[in-house]
Amino acid sequence: MTVGATADAVSIERHNPAPVLEARGLAMQFGPVEVLTDIGLELRSGEVHAVIGENGAGKSTLMKLLSGYLAPTRGAIHLNGATVAFRGPVDAEQRGIVLVHQEILLAPDLTVAQNIFMGRELRHGLVLDDRAMNRLAAGAVERLGAAIDPRQTVARLSIAQRQLVQIARALAGRPRVIVLDEPTASLTPHETEALLNIIGELKRDGVAVLYISHRLPEVAAIADVVTVLRDGKHVATLPGGTLTPLDMAHLMVGRDMARLFPPRATPPEATPLLCVKDLSVPGASSDIAFTLRPGEILGFAGLIGAGRTETFEGLLGLRPAQGRVTLAGRATWFRSVRDSLAAGLVYLSEDRKGKGLLLAKPLAVNLTLAALHRFCRGILVSRTREAKGLEDAIARFDIRARRRTMLAGQLSGGNQQKLLLAKMMLREPRVVVIDEPTRGIDIGTKEQIYRLLAELAAAGKAVVVISSEMGELIGLCHRILVMRAGRIVGELAGEAMTERNIAVLATGADVHTSAVAVGA
Amino acid sequence: MDRLLRTCAVAVLVLGATAAQAQTKTVTVAVSIPAADHGWTGGVVFQAERAKALLEARHPGLKIIVKTSPDGASQANALEDLTTQGIDALVTLPQNSDELTDPLRQVKNKGVFVTVVDRALSDPTIQDLYVAGNNPDVGRVAGEYMKGKLPSGQVVVIRGLPIVIDEERQKGFDAAIAGSGLKVLDKQFGNWSRDDAFKVMQDYLAKFPKIDAVWCQDDDMAVGVLEAIKQAKRSDVQFVVGGAGMKDMVKRVADGDAMIPVDVLYPPAMIATAMELTVANFYDQIPVRGRYIMDATLVTKANAKEFYYPDSPF
Amino acid sequence: MADTLRDASAAPPRLPRVDWVAAAPFVALACLLVFGAFVSPSFLSLGNLANVLTRSAFIAIIGVGATFVIASGGIDLSVGSMAAFVASVMILFMNTELGGGGVGTLALGMLLAAGVGSMCGLLNGLVTTVGRIEPFITTLGTMGIFRALTIWLANGGSIAMKSQDLRTLYRPVYFGSVGGVPLPIALILAITAVGAFVLYKTAFGRHLLAVGSSEDVARYSGIPINRVRTVAYVVQGLCVAVAVMVYVPRLGAATATTGLLWELQAITAVVVGGTALRGGVGRVWGTLCGALLLEIVGNIMVLSSFVSEYLIGAVQGTIIIVAMLVQRSLSNRNRA
Repeated sequence: MTVGATADAVSIERHNPAPVLEARGLAMQFGPVEVLTDIGLELRSGEVHAVIGENGAGKSTLMKLLSGYLAPTRGAIHLNGATVAFRGPVDAEQRGIVLVHQEILLAPDLTVAQNIFMGRELRHGLVLDDRAMNRLAAGAVERLGAAIDPRQTVARLSIAQRQLVQIARALAGRPRVIVLDEPTASLTPHETEALLNIIGELKRDGVAVLYISHRLPEVAAIADVVTVLRDGKHVATLPGGTLTPLDMAHLMVGRDMARLFPPRATPPEATPLLCVKDLSVPGASSDIAFTLRPGEILGFAGLIGAGRTETFEGLLGLRPAQGRVTLAGRATWFRSVRDSLAAGLVYLSEDRKGKGLLLAKPLAVNLTLAALHRFCRGILVSRTREAKGLEDAIARFDIRARRRTMLAGQLSGGNQQKLLLAKMMLREPRVVVIDEPTRGIDIGTKEQIYRLLAELAAAGKAVVVISSEMGELIGLCHRILVMRAGRIVGELAGEAMTERNIAVLATGADVHTSAVAVGA
Repeated sequence: MDRLLRTCAVAVLVLGATAAQAQTKTVTVAVSIPAADHGWTGGVVFQAERAKALLEARHPGLKIIVKTSPDGASQANALEDLTTQGIDALVTLPQNSDELTDPLRQVKNKGVFVTVVDRALSDPTIQDLYVAGNNPDVGRVAGEYMKGKLPSGQVVVIRGLPIVIDEERQKGFDAAIAGSGLKVLDKQFGNWSRDDAFKVMQDYLAKFPKIDAVWCQDDDMAVGVLEAIKQAKRSDVQFVVGGAGMKDMVKRVADGDAMIPVDVLYPPAMIATAMELTVANFYDQIPVRGRYIMDATLVTKANAKEFYYPDSPF
Repeated sequence: MADTLRDASAAPPRLPRVDWVAAAPFVALACLLVFGAFVSPSFLSLGNLANVLTRSAFIAIIGVGATFVIASGGIDLSVGSMAAFVASVMILFMNTELGGGGVGTLALGMLLAAGVGSMCGLLNGLVTTVGRIEPFITTLGTMGIFRALTIWLANGGSIAMKSQDLRTLYRPVYFGSVGGVPLPIALILAITAVGAFVLYKTAFGRHLLAVGSSEDVARYSGIPINRVRTVAYVVQGLCVAVAVMVYVPRLGAATATTGLLWELQAITAVVVGGTALRGGVGRVWGTLCGALLLEIVGNIMVLSSFVSEYLIGAVQGTIIIVAMLVQRSLSNRNRA
């Protein structure tokens, strides 16, 4: 708290020219939840302005407000001193503000050039001028330090290449403001370096860059100004050069990091419950082997695309795979998710909205879906039993629902995760696999989820946590397995569980030689 | 009236001529007709197959290809396919005259003898021979019968689908009863379907307290109409006049059913007439080019036996 | 903070709110009834209403099955042809007079119809799920197959019940009534009630709605999605068979035009009844309402004399769109 208080007192010296884009008192409400409160922000030409914060701090919402994807509930946006209300992202883009999404939003079956020029195709009269578009696209991609054939379809590119194409597409419109949302999340250190160089060039061209990233060393390296958000509120705006990654982490979390996690139980000595050998999932991973004990929390770390999710989907019968599995001493194999559920293994998808919950259905329907037989009398679903089950779940998992009849989609991300956890716990599993347990969840709920996972382990269940947040793996797990390119490349335990060690294993690079070491 | 020849006269002529000269001459005749999508077209398909069997037995060198198509576009394709196989003559009942006029012109330009049945083309120069029922007469004969039976009264009409044939029959009917004591209470489309005619008749019966007679243009629809009257237990409806010559209805006429005293002929067998004449052109050197319009004969109890085909599906 | 939230949730329940989305089709139906009464004095007569309700039986019963299929995220375009095919098989069987030519034959015929209908549905379901073919294409294919089989069985004409005794025996199933209520109307209510019961009260119904809502969520929750979706098509087939059991006694025959465009009418009834085509929601009583709505629109058009017979289609289309607009505005109100 003390850090935050002093930071608030700091102000930026105002010798700079007037801001290109300015936010004043922006607030955003989704249903009953206010996700952003009274945010002010100034973006200047030739300046890299970084916005940092924990997941759920409101960074994404802020960006969407500034680039026309959302309209603020309160507050105003000024462009070159005049108030603007964007009619949509296209409107914002025409006014020179473009957002590069973290997710890839390209048409996979079109070529690189077709994607870059989508919506603003060059033409001779009525006929598309493919030759010119291919030539210009090649130049745009080359400028980003990549060699990609503009006539190649996007589906054949790697994730990193696609990210570069997205950036090239954004730059092709010659924007005055470019908003980059976690642009390096899926890039290798080498590609990251190239991207940071490009950002430097954009700066020199007089473009204002709004940069959102989790990777604090990157931020420290390139940001001229850093704004910290926490729980939807503005915490501080500071000049970039004065901050170390550690300072930033303290500002983001706003409390002692150590208290976020429950005390770690001693690693269990019991005989392994689950042994996996020679597991391979076509197209995603191979030669996966690990053991899991009751009461243990095992972490799976790795970059996006390392094959962690696919490995467990394969193991649990959600996608084709082969391998050898021993559960409680007996050889077994799960051909479908029904098999694995019946054997007492549950999987909580990282994609809560798409694969975990029926957003348009009430809470009780979601809660009982995977274990409906427990709420039936004969063939009838008993509404009273369901209502009672919901009350129990709300009490046990502290699900904050204003009304019992509300829809799952109306819950906040954190409460959705708790509902999903409650749903799968009704299966009374022996093994719980939870994928990205706290993605998009506010810090208060994170703490609760960590506590719930620790309680599950203490109750003798075996827990697997797949996460891209190294901090949470280190704080929560007894052991961490690191995956890279579909293989397990190392195991870390005890004191060896550090962000640096994880990063070295996950990227396969020697961190000391990289300009942007990952980890604070 | 341009009734040039009577069907029976032609048939006699053709038969006589064939008996005289039995020679093997190779002729291929294609027959392109709509698929059996309702009763009447079902009858057309049946009669075409029947005529094919008869004619091929009579002329050893004759090959007849019968091809059915579910709609106008596929019939156009079928015409192309048939022409490329190399045919001497084409007998066709076009799904839709406007749509198929140009495809038929192409066939004609290949030197094929073209016989058009039932539905007139927009350009009559294409056809060598035109064989058809008399649609205005179907309406006229029904109208005159009703006028004679009921000096004054209230009738309801169930039409088919809004196409030319239906319009011609309606006009014939309207002209026949003009100035008489008959009053048309309502006209609605029954889509030549039993189920739809049943619904329309139910609604008529709910709407009008007194209906003396029904003209429903087609025997398939008459089936639905009779059922609706039976359900409503209404005794005011004296009779129903259908059309086309469906075997069940012809039988009722023959049996003296009071509800179906007559039927107006519009026989699907006209396709057979057209095939006979077309083949005669090749084997018998009989001049057949021209227009053959068949009577809309009134089937009564006296002559019903003549028009009863117990084996036909229609 | 947790305490304040708990307090809020423990507050006494508000007065039950009207679910306008579910009520909308009924409101539209009521509006149409009032409109009909204005347009024609004979519209509200008992005889006319009984006729219209009875006539709507086919689409209403098939619509119940269509609600299941659409709620599961599928679509069935083959129901009209399937009805014609089932009717043909049923009549051909009854013409053999197996089972004694009386009630026995009728019972066997109905049983056969139910069996054939279920098998047709099973075929649609298996091709869609096991064969992984879009239901639109699968049922478009079977639509053609069933129709062609019907025409082939009928030799291009019609298939009629030969035995007049059997017809007389069977006729009351469409034309008869119990305690003043025509049998088909009683049957619609029974089938709809059973459909609503299965969809809303049983585990199968819950699973079906989950599959339609999100196949992924259902799969990750361990629901046998292929089985659930296939059963939905079988339910549809059974409903078609029941509709056929009421259809055959009406005219005693199946023709090439039997069931023509019923698939579109059934889908329209389902959508007008408030079920979204994207799946996940099924309103069985709404579908009944939609089927009545469609039939009543046609009835009003014939009863009233102010529209030319050429324009009836346009007026029907307009009324359906207006009914949907009424629903939309009511459901917006719900959200506000």
